[in-house]
Amino acid sequence: MPGQVVRVQRRERLGLAERLYLPMIFVGFAVTSRHFFRNLWGYITGNVTSFVVQYPEQRVDYADAFRGHPVLVQLENGKPKCVACGLCEFACPTDCITILPGEIEDSIERYPEVFDIDMSRCMFCGLCEEACPEEAIVMSREVELATLDRAGSWFHKEDLLRTEEQLGRRVGFLRDGYSR
Amino acid sequence: MDVALVAKTLFIFAVIMLVFAPLMTWVERKQSALMQDRIGANRADIFGITAIGLIHPVADVIKMITKEDVIPAGAHRLLHTLCPLIAAVPAAISFAVIPYGGSYSAWGAHWSLVVADLDYGLLYVFAIGSIAAYGTVLAGWASNSNWGMLGSLRASAQMLSYEVAMGVSVLGIFMVFGSLRMTDIGVGQQETFRLLGFLEHLGWVAPGTRWVDWVTIPAWGIVLQPLGFFMFLAALMAENKRPPFDTPEGESEIVAGYFIEYSGMKFGLFFMAEWIEVVVIAGLMTALFLGGWSLPWISDQELIGWLSVPFGPNLANLLAMVVNVSVFFVKLCFMIWVQQILRWSLPRFRYDQVMHLGWKILLPLSLVNILVTAILILLVDELAS
Repeated sequence: MPGQVVRVQRRERLGLAERLYLPMIFVGFAVTSRHFFRNLWGYITGNVTSFVVQYPEQRVDYADAFRGHPVLVQLENGKPKCVACGLCEFACPTDCITILPGEIEDSIERYPEVFDIDMSRCMFCGLCEEACPEEAIVMSREVELATLDRAGSWFHKEDLLRTEEQLGRRVGFLRDGYSR
Repeated sequence: MDVALVAKTLFIFAVIMLVFAPLMTWVERKQSALMQDRIGANRADIFGITAIGLIHPVADVIKMITKEDVIPAGAHRLLHTLCPLIAAVPAAISFAVIPYGGSYSAWGAHWSLVVADLDYGLLYVFAIGSIAAYGTVLAGWASNSNWGMLGSLRASAQMLSYEVAMGVSVLGIFMVFGSLRMTDIGVGQQETFRLLGFLEHLGWVAPGTRWVDWVTIPAWGIVLQPLGFFMFLAALMAENKRPPFDTPEGESEIVAGYFIEYSGMKFGLFFMAEWIEVVVIAGLMTALFLGGWSLPWISDQELIGWLSVPFGPNLANLLAMVVNVSVFFVKLCFMIWVQQILRWSLPRFRYDQVMHLGWKILLPLSLVNILVTAILILLVDELAS
């Protein structure tokens, strides 16, 4: 039953039965009750036809283009790839990113001392990802943001760091999409 | 204080308010799920027992009662609090005149299984039902909200329009059974008529012994007034503001309509009212059109007579009572199922379509129905005399 495509030929003008309305109610009635009784029987015999994904236990593999909340890419030495240039902060339409740059004796020279994202304001638009010249901020596939208080929706640098393996196919998708 | 009356009232209250109304939340979820190839509510559990989603009504009630009750600024505080009650109480008390069984006598006692056997029967339901309109109309007005006001306006127009069609479409039933008393209508539906009996009356068909002359049909309202059945059902569903007549609520247009500013158990009461009304509508349709408490082709006397042979008259009356009450509730459940399946099958009418259906289709059709019924009754009476 899944994945079945039915092509319906729709007429421009309504027929008599359609204009009387009552006969077509019975047609709709027949369709819905057919599903009802088939599924009721399935329920009793224990094989339910259903497209439902039982969410917390079962999960769907989201598409590559899926945008969860933004995260920071972590280098192999545990430091963020970010150079604190502030372009994402500037691109953000909701002003939810706060960056405080710092200096380090490294080839990168700059790093974010503070990198906070207010997830209650973030609208997952992906403009920060697009603006970033370093592929340092990337939209993840994580969507579970429920917290018990407002402070919980304030994500700090440590909460945002993800290694490139954790990000999966997203980085490759970005390189294809923006022809980098 | 009449003990039997109290017992009957408590029985109806327990069945309608404590069994059917909470179960309707479960039926609404599960039936829609089955119709749409889903699974439906299955998460709420007590120690891991989900009981096919039956715990959800309990969870709902606990949530509703413990929720914060918000009265918006600028609302009329008294009316805002009163409106859920004005909506729910008429729904609950209109079941009083619906008979859920015949009359039985055993061990010298005599019971008639209806709370109030009023001789103006159905007019009571109409009168009480009109009061429910106030709850809806005032709810939107009292909550000082634009959406609520829009919902109220739509509800007032719809409920007043369909009250006309509702009253007129059921007149045929009174004419056929010659009574407004619901128990009389119930007893009248236990009769049967022969398939060609009417044509024999008119002298168009000679009485004979063909197979068709042996076929009898129970004189249920749906057989005698098929048009009335559909029109009355449509009018009642419109009165109850359930889909496809849910323009007063119209989630996609006016958020939630008249009860948008309600929270907690006040909101719950509006929904309780709706579900109780579904049960009342099912009861009304059963009592008026589906033969009430009786089995088809078997009248109460016949049933009691057959049961008296093995069990004696007293026990036979008691058993007949059990049979009749269960038959009534089976029919009631069927009508609830029909309403639910209509609710999930049909898209919402546009506001002008609701008015069009009420004034331009249901009202003229029901007047024609009365005319045709009257002519047929006159013809039968004329030829019988």
